[in-house]
Amino acid sequence: MSAGQIHDLGYKRYVGSRRSMGTRWRVIMRHQITSAWAGWWRFKLWLIAALLTTTSVSAVMYFMHDRRLKMLGGIGGQVVKIADGLVPLSAMFYCKVGFIVSLTISATVVAGDLQSGAFTFYFARSVRPVDYVIGKLAGLAVLLAVIMAAGPIVLAGVRLGLSENLDELIDLLPILAKQLAVGAVGTVIYAAIPLGFSALSTSRRNALAIWAAYYVMIGSMASGLAFVTWPALAAIDLPASLQAISLHLFDQQFPGRANVPISAALISVLGHTAAAIAAVVWRIRRAQQTGVGGAS
Amino acid sequence: MTGLFELDGLTKRYGAITALDQVTAAVDGRIIGLLGPNGAGKSTLLKCLLGLLPYQGQARVLGLEAATDGAEIRDRVGYMPEQESFLSGMSAVELCTYAGELSGLPRSEAMQRAHAALYYAGLEEKRYQPVDGYSTGMKQRVKLAQALVHDPEILFLDEPTNGLDPQSREEMLALIVELPVRRGCAIVLSTHLLPDVDRVCDRAVIMHRGAVRFSGSIDELRGARGRDSELAVAVKADAARLAEALTAAGAICRVSSPIALEVDLPASATSQLVFATARTAGLQVRELAVRRESVEAAFLRVLGDDGALRAQGGVT
Repeated sequence: MSAGQIHDLGYKRYVGSRRSMGTRWRVIMRHQITSAWAGWWRFKLWLIAALLTTTSVSAVMYFMHDRRLKMLGGIGGQVVKIADGLVPLSAMFYCKVGFIVSLTISATVVAGDLQSGAFTFYFARSVRPVDYVIGKLAGLAVLLAVIMAAGPIVLAGVRLGLSENLDELIDLLPILAKQLAVGAVGTVIYAAIPLGFSALSTSRRNALAIWAAYYVMIGSMASGLAFVTWPALAAIDLPASLQAISLHLFDQQFPGRANVPISAALISVLGHTAAAIAAVVWRIRRAQQTGVGGAS
Repeated sequence: MTGLFELDGLTKRYGAITALDQVTAAVDGRIIGLLGPNGAGKSTLLKCLLGLLPYQGQARVLGLEAATDGAEIRDRVGYMPEQESFLSGMSAVELCTYAGELSGLPRSEAMQRAHAALYYAGLEEKRYQPVDGYSTGMKQRVKLAQALVHDPEILFLDEPTNGLDPQSREEMLALIVELPVRRGCAIVLSTHLLPDVDRVCDRAVIMHRGAVRFSGSIDELRGARGRDSELAVAVKADAARLAEALTAAGAICRVSSPIALEVDLPASATSQLVFATARTAGLQVRELAVRRESVEAAFLRVLGDDGALRAQGGVT
C-alpha cells in the first residue's frame, strides 16, 4: 500500500442483530475443533490409529468369538467369551490414543493461549471466562469423544452383531449404554484433566511436560505402590481408574493389575476433573483481568 | 447526547495501591489522545471502561454502565492491543472472522467484514497468509483490522505505531485519521509518541497518578500558548532592533536568532503593531505566525514538576 492510499470496499454500518452472549462458547468450541483438525499430526493421525484399533479389535472379536478368555469374576464365571471380554477391556486400548491426543491438543490449550496473548484477543470482546472454559471443554470433549467413546460403542455394536439369537441380542443391549458411560469417563479424563494441567504453566512446553510427567510417572508410581500398600492408591493412575470403572460396569475383573476399588476410581476421576476445572477457571479469570490493556 | 465515556468518582484500588482516585471526567470527540506516564492509570481505566475490573464510583461508556454492561460495551467497542494477541496458525482473514463471530456477528457477515477490514488496513491478498509469518507492520494492520471487524462505535488503539518504520507509521496514522470519517467511529489513542497525538488527535486526556490532570481539546491543552497575542516573527535582518522597537511599544520580546524573535503583544494590540513598528524602523517582516506550543511541551507543563518523570520513565 502506498502512503496516503486507503482502500475501502464500501463500508456500511452493521444494523443486523448480534447473537446472544450465550452462544459465544459455541464459536470457541467450533474454533477448537477446526484448529485441531487442521494438519495431520494433531488429531487426524490419531483418529486413524483409533480406527485401526477398532478394526483390529472388531476382527479379533469376529474371528475368535467362540474362543474363551480367562478373566476373574466374569459373566457367569471366571471364563468368558473373547468377544465379551474385549468390550470392557477396549477402554485400555483407546487410552493410549487418548493420551497422545491429550498431548497434541488438550494439554497445551490454556498455556498456548497465554503464551500467544490470545486472552487479550478473547476478553477485549464480549467473551466471558465461562464462555471460554465451556467452549474449550466442549471442543475438546467432541474431539476426545470421537476417540474414547465412538470406538468402544462401535465395538459394543460389533458384539451385538455377533449375538447368536434375538434373545441374546436383547440381553446384551445394555452394553451400549455401559460403553457410552465408559467413553464419557474416558473423554473427561483426556479432555478436562489435561486442560487443567495446561493452566498450570504459562509455557506450552512446560504444561506439556507437567501433564506427561504426571500421567506417566506419577500414575505408574502410584500403581506400583498400590500393589504393596493400599490398592486405592492406584486410582491416581487415570487409565487404571478408567479400567476399574469399565470392569465394574461389566461385572468383571482382570488379572495382572492392582484392583482399584470402584469408589476410589470414581473419586479420583471426579477429584481430578474438579481440580482441573478449578485451575482453568482461576487462570482464565486472572487472564481476563490482566490481559487487556497490559499490566497496571 | 451521550458522550463516549463519563466517569464520576471512579476509584480502583489494588490492595493499598490506588490506581484510580476519584476520577471524574466526561470525554467526547473524534480522536482522543490518552496520555500519561507509566503507572498513570491508563490501563486500569481502560479495563474499567471495558467492564473487566470491579470499581467504585461510576463509569459509563456509550451510556452503558461498565460494571454491569461490560459484555455489551465490548460488543460496541474495538480494542487494538499494544502487544501481540494472535492465535497461532490462523490466517489474517480467519482471525478477523473469528473475532467478528466472538463479537456476535453471524459467520457470513463476520467473514465479509473481515475481508473488508483487512482490505481497509491494506493487507489485500496477504490476508490469506498465516499471521505468524507477518512483519511488524503487517501485524499492526491485522490488529487494527480485528479491532474494526465488528463495527465498533469506539476504537481503543494502544500504541498503534509502535515498531513501525516511518513510512508504515505515516500509513497507519493516515488510516487512523480516516476512520472517524469513513466508519463513523470515535478513537481513543493511547500512545507515548506525542507527535502522533499532535498529528491526529483533536482532544486529549492526560492522566497522572490515578487522576485526570487534563481533559479537553488539543488547542485548550496548548492553552495560553495558542493565543493570537503570542507571535513568532522572522525578519530579513536585525531582529534585535525590531525587538527594541517593539519593547518600547509595550511588547515583551525574545530574540532567538539575528533574523527571528518571539513577541508577546501587549493587551488589546494586534499583529498590526509588529508590521507598523517594522515599517517605522525600516525593517522587513518576512514571516509572522501565532506561536504554537507543541503537545509535548504542553504535556510536560500539565504534569508540572512531575514532567521530569518523562525523562526517567517514559511517557505512555
